[in-house]
Amino acid sequence: MIDPDDLALLATSFAAAMSRAPGAAEADDALHDLGWGELLAHAPLQGAAAAFSALGVTGSAACLLDDVAANALGLPVSASACVVLPAPSFSRQPAERRGQSIHIDGLVSARIDRSDRAMVAVSDGSVVEVDAALLRTTDVIALDPQRPFRRLRVDVCERDVVVLARAGSWDTVILRARAAVAHQLVAASRVMLDQATQHAVDRVQFGRPIASFQAVRHRLADALVAIEGASAVTEMCAEDECDPLMATMARSLAGAAARTTAASAQQVLAGIGFTTDHPFHLSLKRTMVLDTLFGSARTLPTEIGNALLAIGGAPRLIEL
Amino acid sequence: MSDAIADDLPSFRRELNSWLDDNEGELRLGHVGHPTLDEDLAQFTHIKRALFDAGWGRHGWPVAVGGLGGSSMLRAVVGEEIATRDLAEPGMWSMIEVLAPTVIAYGSPALIAEMIPPLLRGDETWCQGFSEPNTGSDLASLSCRATAVEGGWSVSGQKVWTSFAQFAERCVLLTRTGEPGSAHRGITALFVDVDSPGITARPIEIQNGTLEFCEVFFDDVFVPNERILGAVGQGWQVAMDVLPYERSTAFWHRGAYLHHRADQLIATVAGIAGADGAAAVDTGQARLLGEAFQAVMAFRCRSRATQHRLAGGGQLGAETSIDKILIATAEQTLFNAARDVLPGVIEFDDDAEAQRLRWEFLYSRAATIYGGTAEIQRNIVARRLLDLGSE
Ligand SMILES: Cc1cc2nc3c(=O)[nH]c(=O)nc-3n(C[C@H](O)[C@H](O)[C@H](O)COP(=O)(O)OP(=O)(O)OC[C@H]3O[C@@H](n4cnc5c(N)ncnc54)[C@H](O)[C@@H]3O)c2cc1C
Repeated sequence: MIDPDDLALLATSFAAAMSRAPGAAEADDALHDLGWGELLAHAPLQGAAAAFSALGVTGSAACLLDDVAANALGLPVSASACVVLPAPSFSRQPAERRGQSIHIDGLVSARIDRSDRAMVAVSDGSVVEVDAALLRTTDVIALDPQRPFRRLRVDVCERDVVVLARAGSWDTVILRARAAVAHQLVAASRVMLDQATQHAVDRVQFGRPIASFQAVRHRLADALVAIEGASAVTEMCAEDECDPLMATMARSLAGAAARTTAASAQQVLAGIGFTTDHPFHLSLKRTMVLDTLFGSARTLPTEIGNALLAIGGAPRLIEL
Repeated sequence: MSDAIADDLPSFRRELNSWLDDNEGELRLGHVGHPTLDEDLAQFTHIKRALFDAGWGRHGWPVAVGGLGGSSMLRAVVGEEIATRDLAEPGMWSMIEVLAPTVIAYGSPALIAEMIPPLLRGDETWCQGFSEPNTGSDLASLSCRATAVEGGWSVSGQKVWTSFAQFAERCVLLTRTGEPGSAHRGITALFVDVDSPGITARPIEIQNGTLEFCEVFFDDVFVPNERILGAVGQGWQVAMDVLPYERSTAFWHRGAYLHHRADQLIATVAGIAGADGAAAVDTGQARLLGEAFQAVMAFRCRSRATQHRLAGGGQLGAETSIDKILIATAEQTLFNAARDVLPGVIEFDDDAEAQRLRWEFLYSRAATIYGGTAEIQRNIVARRLLDLGSE
């Protein structure tokens, strides 16, 4: 268990390194130089809390989710480790066997450009290694201009893959990835709220700051409440142990908070926020992309409800 | 927070639960169907007495008022386990958690030594006389007048929506002692015996059919000087201090009650699905249950941090408006879900379970009204937490 103050320091130094790095690849390298890989091995949930909060604060496109997934699967972690992620808003393994081929339907991070091979989890529980060249997609235009993740739909031949020995389970990947993305979404939501709050104070209409209008104030207050609720649950996913249901709720609430905050911030920023002169659009697009990872604010409540129905009740999950 | 307290909580909880298990039979008074308000009050009085006599109801309260000392989190744990077993109506329980700490903080040592023990023991009920016919959200505009007389104060005026006033022995009353326009500066808090000559409490029926609150009339009611809470003119501060108390142990208790209701609702729906065979629960229902539970958990995790801060000696302030909005949201989301996943039950059914759901659904509409409305909370968040300046 890492001391909370040390964890905050780590997040700060991660964020500083990300801000200095000119691109995603350089940010990846910088984080690995700072010992991110060892941290992940030593304290996976806490390490992810620090690194993914930093991702959210800086808007960096560093591909750290590959590391989280590789580590959870018990596979080697490095700045060139590439793990194929589930299809948008899904969380099951991205591949399945179909006769002599393996059908992959998922997302792949920008790491694919600098890796020789990628790791792909298959629905039968195995993990295979594929030549990265087979998974490199031609450049397509997508929502997020930095394209941290790309859509991947491809079939590879059984004889072109190597089955890997691995120690971890896909369930662990889901839990850790959800917690990590929740931290990033919460931090990114705070960035949007800060932008809108600052604008509300600075922008004058009808002879007074728009922050004095209650319609504006309440929208921003609702965003803060959504963020703090999500944050409180997400914080519980940086402890030693984390129930899978808790990570699912953190991810779900963080996605919902990002949606609420983006809508409020967009409305308060109005015209200026609609331009690419203002950075808001970057957060809007990034949080939309993040909310497709390992479920979405739309799909996860149903998953939570079904999990509760299977249990037949509502567990407390944490005590005082 | 000291680790010793946290380390102690699990064993405290374990021992409490085994005592509750052992005494389950004696702790619960019987009633037929959904309890009436009188039956709720009888049960509440009964459980308070039992907890006090066994010591559980004294943990977390100062020794000077009949308590056994220790962290406020011990009280939170007791409230949580009582709520989870449906052993007390949550509104009644919260009244003590809200008013007792305020009176302890502002009453004289003699007053609190005399008054708090009977409250904790369940011998007395207290009420909170803040709102008036023309004073709701704008509490500082209150006009119920207290005039200085020989040895004390004479109170004349009216309060309204005073919960449980018809049962109460005492009232924490906000009065105007300054000039009529003196706003928050001219308010004084008094601790009043409700059986004083000149007080009339008339119950008002609320939308779920109970007579929970009253309009209370004061006609030249004498209140001695020893019954001033704090100092003359300090009433606003007393009122503002009530809020953090409401948002600590009382909220934890209410959150536990909601959690328990979520548990029951999910068990009910799972039971229906099980009886009907495969996949009777459609994804729309599952989604509503998931949304309700995650709202309950968002509050629980937020409030947990608040409880730890308070127990560690921290001051609670405007940030607890977030706790308040989260619990109101959780309560309404949960009962909205109940309405939709059990179609027609709240609207048409008449068994005890349906009556309870109907009663609680209707009551949950007040979660965004009492204790400062949802809009007032957002005003506080905007002003104090987002630094948006004044309106
Ligand atoms: C179940 C229940 C129990 C209660 N128990 C007690 C009790 O024991 N003791 C007691 O003293 N009181 C009690 N109350 C009263 C409660 O505190 C008040 O109802 C509450 O403070 C709101 O006041 P009001 O009803 O007069 O609404 P108003 O203040 O008249 O407000 C009406 C509407 O206008 C909005 N509004 C008002 N001002 C603003 C503003 N500045 N900005 C934006 N919107 C605004 C409000 O949010 C609300 O939607 C209870 C109420 C309920 C429902």
